[in-house]
Amino acid sequence: MTHPAVEVDGLEKHYGDVTALDGIAFSAAPGEVFGLLGHNGAGKSTTIRILTGRARPSAGRARVLGHDIPGGLEHVRHRINLVAETPTLYERATAKENLDLFCTLYGLPAARGDAALERVGLVHAAKRKVKTFSTGMRQRLMLARAVINEPRVLFLDEPTRGLDPKSARDLRELVRELSRGGTTIFLTTHDMTEADVLCDRVAFLAEGRIAALDTPRALKLRLGGAPEVDVVLDDGSDLVLGLDRPDDAERLHELVTSRRVRALHSREATLADVFIALAGRSLDDEAGE
Amino acid sequence: MSLRRIFAILGKDLREAMRDGRIMIVLLLPIALAIFYNSTTPEDNERPQTAVVVVDPDGLGVADSLRTAAERSVEIDMLSARDAQEARRIVDADDAAFAVIAPGADGDVPVQAEILLPENATPTAQSVVALVPDAVTAAAGREPVTDVQVQPLPVAASDRRPADLLEQRTILVVVCVMMLLSFVALLVVPMQTAEEIGSGTFGALRLAATGPEILAAKALSGLLYAAAGTVLTMFITGALPAEPVAFYAAALGLAISLIGFGLMLGLLSGNANQINTYGGFLILPIVGLATAVLIVESGVFAIVLDILPFSQGTRLLFDAVSEEQPFDAGPTAWLVLGAWTVIGFAILARVAARREA
Repeated sequence: MTHPAVEVDGLEKHYGDVTALDGIAFSAAPGEVFGLLGHNGAGKSTTIRILTGRARPSAGRARVLGHDIPGGLEHVRHRINLVAETPTLYERATAKENLDLFCTLYGLPAARGDAALERVGLVHAAKRKVKTFSTGMRQRLMLARAVINEPRVLFLDEPTRGLDPKSARDLRELVRELSRGGTTIFLTTHDMTEADVLCDRVAFLAEGRIAALDTPRALKLRLGGAPEVDVVLDDGSDLVLGLDRPDDAERLHELVTSRRVRALHSREATLADVFIALAGRSLDDEAGE
Repeated sequence: MSLRRIFAILGKDLREAMRDGRIMIVLLLPIALAIFYNSTTPEDNERPQTAVVVVDPDGLGVADSLRTAAERSVEIDMLSARDAQEARRIVDADDAAFAVIAPGADGDVPVQAEILLPENATPTAQSVVALVPDAVTAAAGREPVTDVQVQPLPVAASDRRPADLLEQRTILVVVCVMMLLSFVALLVVPMQTAEEIGSGTFGALRLAATGPEILAAKALSGLLYAAAGTVLTMFITGALPAEPVAFYAAALGLAISLIGFGLMLGLLSGNANQINTYGGFLILPIVGLATAVLIVESGVFAIVLDILPFSQGTRLLFDAVSEEQPFDAGPTAWLVLGAWTVIGFAILARVAARREA
């Protein structure tokens, strides 16, 4: 019988009077890319902290690769890894020294560090001190450290935040590659497009609870609102028509039959629309706060 | 607990310390102070020195006689001159503190001698001047006018203050060692721990190692700094302890009793710069209280010192450095250090568990 790679049931976490997680439940299958989305403070990072054994749950159960966490952490320590939201590297050490330390901690040969550096394209900077690295290079080194033990579950906490487009694209490609190799990816992100592209399933976390959990496509269909079309007319003006509204449907029919339509674009719901529908505000609002 | 993981983190910590200017300064400062004090403080058995020029045309041996008379109190650099004029020139040139002119002895005529003494003569020179009449008399082969015997009086051990049994130079070196141990336990170890917390690397390490393994590695690194620093200080200053094993055991015992608190400080602060900036406010009273054992022997303050690890640790260090064992601290001091070690690490375990929760 195959265990879910990650399994959470009735998980609660309280910091004094503040409830960070309020009985969440989900599971992620081996090889699945599972996204956990939500505002700042929704409980995403707390969930990852608990699943990686760096925080104790107040109630409920968290299991990784069939072992309870934190009790069974020692059994899965060498089979999980994490890319944290901010770089957590030894700045005065070189890239190679950073990886060598973790090779020793995991009981792996130092050659694994070299291979990981090659995998993320940092071989040329192996002997450079990390304090001279750009944000993108640091994040790539974090990723190299995260894959050094070939984890069965990889936790990514906002991995593309602050990355340039190329580094972000490279990282997504690596995530897909790992997933194809059977690694479960547990991802938290603010970037809805990234979640849409990468994740097999996503869960929306709001105020410590799972507000919705499904594939991105199913969520968009279910919660993304009615389908609409952008219509560009021959006089250069444009209008948006809702396909579920009879008047708009009739108007569209009229425009098409009278050959006044120059362009027609379907407007599909995005995960951002789903997020707004669930949370009542967008992530842009949060950034502006 | 995995020794492989502990030693991996320990190696990393040592490398990081070597690259961190703040930590190197904190580690080297007490050693530099010990070297400075050791080279500038005179040895307690060093006699004051002075130079005397003697005119002794008949070769009575006034110079030897004066040197013999003063040998227990003053080291005399003896110069000779042909006549009074040359002697005067030597004194005027400050090459001698004063001059003794002994023209010679003749039969029963009283011994004649003249002393050329500048008005600004040092107390040392003046004390030697007081010895000149007897020295000249003895050199002339005459009996001394008076015969004074010195009778040494034994002092009961209970009347001897510990500081009286220790050389000033030794006291300063041991205080510097104590300062080094406090710096290591309450500045270096917390700074390295806080740096890991603040930069998030502690969390990264927690993925690959347990919390106790990380803290054990940091405690071990502190012990290594303490051991290396103590050995280096004693070696460079040449202050060889009377009982080396007891001395280094006391140093490590004191370090261990404080390191638990240092780790806790690092966990709670999470800011290495803050510890570096304000740590002195913690260390200075500790060094003060440790040094107070040399002064305070009774009263409430003495009881307070009896229950503090740094004062008991300092007593053990002094006992081991001197053959006289000035404090005779023994098992009580070790008991106090042991109790503080248990308290320190118990509180640390609680703080770490709360932090984890």
